[in-house]
Amino acid sequence: MEAAGRTVLVRPDHDLFTRGNQVTASDPVAARADDVWKVYGSGEAEVIALRGVSVTFQRGVFTAIMGPSGSGKSTLMHCLAGLDSVTRGEVHIGETRVTGLGDAGLTKLRRDKVGFIFQQFNLLPTLSAKENILLPLSIAGRKPDDAWFDTVIKTVALQDRLGHRPAQLSGGQQQRVACARALVARPEVIFADEPTGNLDSKSGADVLGFLRDSVKTYGQTIVMVTHDPVAASYADRVIFLADGAVVDELHSPTPDMVLDRMKKLDAPAEVTR
Amino acid sequence: MFRSMLRGLLTHKLRLALSALAVILGTMFMSGAFVAGDTFAQGFTALFSTVNRDIDVEVTAQDTTPGGQNAQLGTPTALLDQQDVDTVQKVDGVAKVTPGVYSAGARLIGTDGKVVGGNGPPQQGIAWQNDDPLIQLRQGRPPQAANEIAINQGLSTDSGFGLGQTADVITLEPPTPYTIVGIFGFPGDRPSLAGETTVAFTLPQAQRVLLNAPGKFTSLDVTAAAGVSNDTLRDRIAAALPDDVVRTGAQVAQEQQSATSSFVNILKTGLVVFALIGMFTGAFLIFNTFSMLVAQRTRELALYRSFGASRGQVNRSVLLESVLLGLAASIVGLGLGILVGYILNKALQSFIDASLPVSGVVVRAYAVLTTLAVGTAFTVVAALIPALRASRVPPIAAMRDAVTPDKPLTRLTIAGAVILAGGGLLLGLGVAHVGDLPTWLTLGIGAALCFLGVALLAPIISRPLTTAAGKAFAWSVPGRLGARNTGRNPRRTAVTAAALMIGVALATGAGVFAQSAKAGISNAFERDVNAQLAVTTSFSQGPGANAGFPPELEQTMAALPGVSAAVALRTDTVNLNGSDRFVLAGDAQAASTIFNLKQVAGNVRELNPGEMLVDQDTADALHLGVGNQVTMRTARATPVTLDVVGIFKPNQAISSSLISSADAGGFRSPFAQQGFVQVANDSQVPQVRAELDRLFANNPEVTVNDQSQLIDQANNFVDILLGIVNTLLALTIIVAVLGVVNTLLLSVFERTRELGLIRAVGMSRAQVGRMITVESVLISVFGALLGIVIGVGLGVAIVAALGDEFLSLTVPWGYLLITLALAIVAGAIAAVLPAIRAARLNVLQAIAYE
Ligand SMILES: Nc1ncnc2c1ncn2[C@@H]1O[C@H](COP(=O)(O)OP(=O)(O)OP(=O)(O)O)[C@@H](O)[C@H]1O
Ligand SMILES: [Mg+2]
Repeated sequence: MEAAGRTVLVRPDHDLFTRGNQVTASDPVAARADDVWKVYGSGEAEVIALRGVSVTFQRGVFTAIMGPSGSGKSTLMHCLAGLDSVTRGEVHIGETRVTGLGDAGLTKLRRDKVGFIFQQFNLLPTLSAKENILLPLSIAGRKPDDAWFDTVIKTVALQDRLGHRPAQLSGGQQQRVACARALVARPEVIFADEPTGNLDSKSGADVLGFLRDSVKTYGQTIVMVTHDPVAASYADRVIFLADGAVVDELHSPTPDMVLDRMKKLDAPAEVTR
Repeated sequence: MFRSMLRGLLTHKLRLALSALAVILGTMFMSGAFVAGDTFAQGFTALFSTVNRDIDVEVTAQDTTPGGQNAQLGTPTALLDQQDVDTVQKVDGVAKVTPGVYSAGARLIGTDGKVVGGNGPPQQGIAWQNDDPLIQLRQGRPPQAANEIAINQGLSTDSGFGLGQTADVITLEPPTPYTIVGIFGFPGDRPSLAGETTVAFTLPQAQRVLLNAPGKFTSLDVTAAAGVSNDTLRDRIAAALPDDVVRTGAQVAQEQQSATSSFVNILKTGLVVFALIGMFTGAFLIFNTFSMLVAQRTRELALYRSFGASRGQVNRSVLLESVLLGLAASIVGLGLGILVGYILNKALQSFIDASLPVSGVVVRAYAVLTTLAVGTAFTVVAALIPALRASRVPPIAAMRDAVTPDKPLTRLTIAGAVILAGGGLLLGLGVAHVGDLPTWLTLGIGAALCFLGVALLAPIISRPLTTAAGKAFAWSVPGRLGARNTGRNPRRTAVTAAALMIGVALATGAGVFAQSAKAGISNAFERDVNAQLAVTTSFSQGPGANAGFPPELEQTMAALPGVSAAVALRTDTVNLNGSDRFVLAGDAQAASTIFNLKQVAGNVRELNPGEMLVDQDTADALHLGVGNQVTMRTARATPVTLDVVGIFKPNQAISSSLISSADAGGFRSPFAQQGFVQVANDSQVPQVRAELDRLFANNPEVTVNDQSQLIDQANNFVDILLGIVNTLLALTIIVAVLGVVNTLLLSVFERTRELGLIRAVGMSRAQVGRMITVESVLISVFGALLGIVIGVGLGVAIVAALGDEFLSLTVPWGYLLITLALAIVAGAIAAVLPAIRAARLNVLQAIAYE
């Protein structure tokens, strides 16, 4: 299965493992950016964060986005998730055209198609771990699938922490709760912005391993922004951004390969600064 | 340091603006009360100085009648005659004497059949004086025949009667037609002096129909000869007429004005009390705001401390903020208050149907200084505790998370329980009338302590309530989250709710009192008035007002078919054995039947001339027993001696002594003012009523009511009072609702990231709005519940303390439910702005928010 997962990169429209997903296998693309431009400010203060990024995220693939600081990783992710608008170009999630959606449409998109894992402050302090995990479902008024909930909880190893408040959990546990929350709704795609940025390597590895398993085992689609080559090596595919453009791509990465590419990117980037 | 603090002040604009709004509202109301009162008083000053402007010296007779000038009914009895005029004329330095006739009892019946002016300002009658400088003929000519009158411009406009038309006027005589031959106005082009109506008769007619005293006058206006000062002339006239009252025009104006100023002062005090209650409520809001600012700026303040700022410096800077805020808000409040004062003065005048000769507003120095001082003081005191807390922020806090966990509530709860117990004790003492302080003060301090105690206990009370609310809302995600948020910061929730509690408690207390009064009134009527029908007179004010009906109608009413008992009561203040007392005259036998008089001693029976029944209270006060003799002196007749034949227990209907109609000839008014008719068989009531209506058809001042109408009238009056109190309390409630807005805005601000998160996981704008609304409604309902509980307690305490038989303790459940419903509405309204803010948050920025 491990091997199959790695080769999936080329033909991700498999598969036996997407049975949990609501989306039909006939549509292999979970998210797509077409010639996306993002410009902040105007005149003197104008910053071009994205310059014509076109990228496709296949269903059931774990993609990492890397690049130097300020290269536009977060911007790209926000644009893809519909949290931010694009200046030019188009974004699709599944069959939904995100570009041009109003607040109601975006809310529906976030409810049904998108999951988020942020770097920190992922949870509501007044809710228990379980309530936090089920929050997106209860907001949407959907009934949780008990078997799936149990599976998710078991995978993130949170069985005996469900009644705790976030303040009573460690940072790693909190991030696992956040992962469980993103997964339990079975969204089209999960966006994670440096989910392990605040964790030590052991907790980080737990979270990353869990994310990778959810892709392998359940066909979840994940797009993750990271700075860490080791984190990126958990992904099936790595996209490199520099100065707002996709400059490189790696499949089945190892930490060394990633580090190598990053070095190449950093050098010219520093020259242009 | 101060400059950076000042910048801190400005960065929290919105919340400061809300606290400032609380101070502004309070000071606005307070200065409005001052300005309205002073302007109103100034109006009277202007009025009286205009009226007396051209009078150098005025002579009136000493009123030696029982009750004197305070007697509200009847014709003027202190009169002067031609001999007095001649005496004054002979005094050295007198240039001219103008004898005048004045009475407040000339009521013109308008085209609608009603008395013009109703129960408003005086309906005065005068004798026309050709050279009266105050009265300026506008149309026609002066009255020259007995059936001719001139009326003032205002009366002409109000009644719809013009020159040459004939109108009925009620005086001591029943409605009599007069021809209007002249219309006059007053200096300054005014249609009336202050909204009153004036009918001018010829002098002999005025003496006959206004005074029932041909050849007599009510006053002499004296003009001094050149070179004689008013004071000198007054002294000379006083020497010539030692038994009369001689005053300069200025003195008269002064006395008339001080008579009104006590009324104006009561009014002003009442308004200021409500303004202070509003400020007290605002103090909670200010306290909350400063606590929040300090909490938010813990890091900032700690940073200053780590730079070496002393505790004193931090203290002073927070206090300086509060002084600046208080002063700035008070200045704005003062400015708005002047506007409010202007409007309030106009409203007051229209309420009493007056139009006083004053334009603009009167702003006195004390009003400005008091308003600024009180507004600033409230702000500073409310900010004191947060300031002290700010200074205790240790430098290490700069490194820690700014949001400190909630401290235990033990100390707060103990303090609250002690204060509440103290307040409860004071209320108890007030009810029992124990202690040296006046009862109202004991109750007031007790109530204030109860408020404080409950406010301190509120955090601990809020916990189970918010938990329960969370359970109740478990079915709705926004509801559940809202309820959880309410329970998150019990202190803040409590202070916010406590502010609302004050207004609600006072309104509830007033409601309990009003309902008890209504129940008491109904009970009194049912218990003590055994008459299905009553004849009532709308009392016109002032000496000379003679509304009523001929007392002989008593027999006519009693003789109507179906009537089992009827009494017509005449009232006046008389002097019994040297003490001024209110007495009633009428058929004692009928009165005893109708009013259930309980005999205490002697015989409560039909009275013959020369006999009287004395109520127990008067008997005790004057040491009277059955068989004793009483000397009764009336306003108009020689004293008579009466035998006490019986003593009765006073009740709600009759609480003064009764004499025979035959002995009432010396009363000021020849008329009876009230009648009660008992009908043997209820089915005959409509028929008797029709007969009575016919009997009084030509008297627009007399109405026939059944018992339920009487009760309605009394209840109506109570409702109007309750309405006024609640309108004034609206200020307090508005301030409290602002407090809710303030707290919620802060919650939204503090939870920006959380809001971003729940939006990111799919919550819609509407759901976010609902969440905030639930939070707001919960706080409001919590405050309202606290207020209702305390308010019922207060109402019970007040009713018990007064111990009046007119009060029968009743809790107005419907009113309480409406209060609760209004709290829910208020909570929903308070949520609007914060909910919009929360819903409008940009999700991305909210998530990235530090
Ligand atoms: N709201 C904004 N207004 C103006 N410029 C912005 C804004 N957000 C991002 N930028 C700019 O856009 C560029 C891309 O920013 P982005 O946050 O996407 O970078 P990043 O790759 O996520 O960097 P990091 O690794 O440091 O998180 C940067 O130059 C940044 O300064
Ligand atoms: Mg970033």
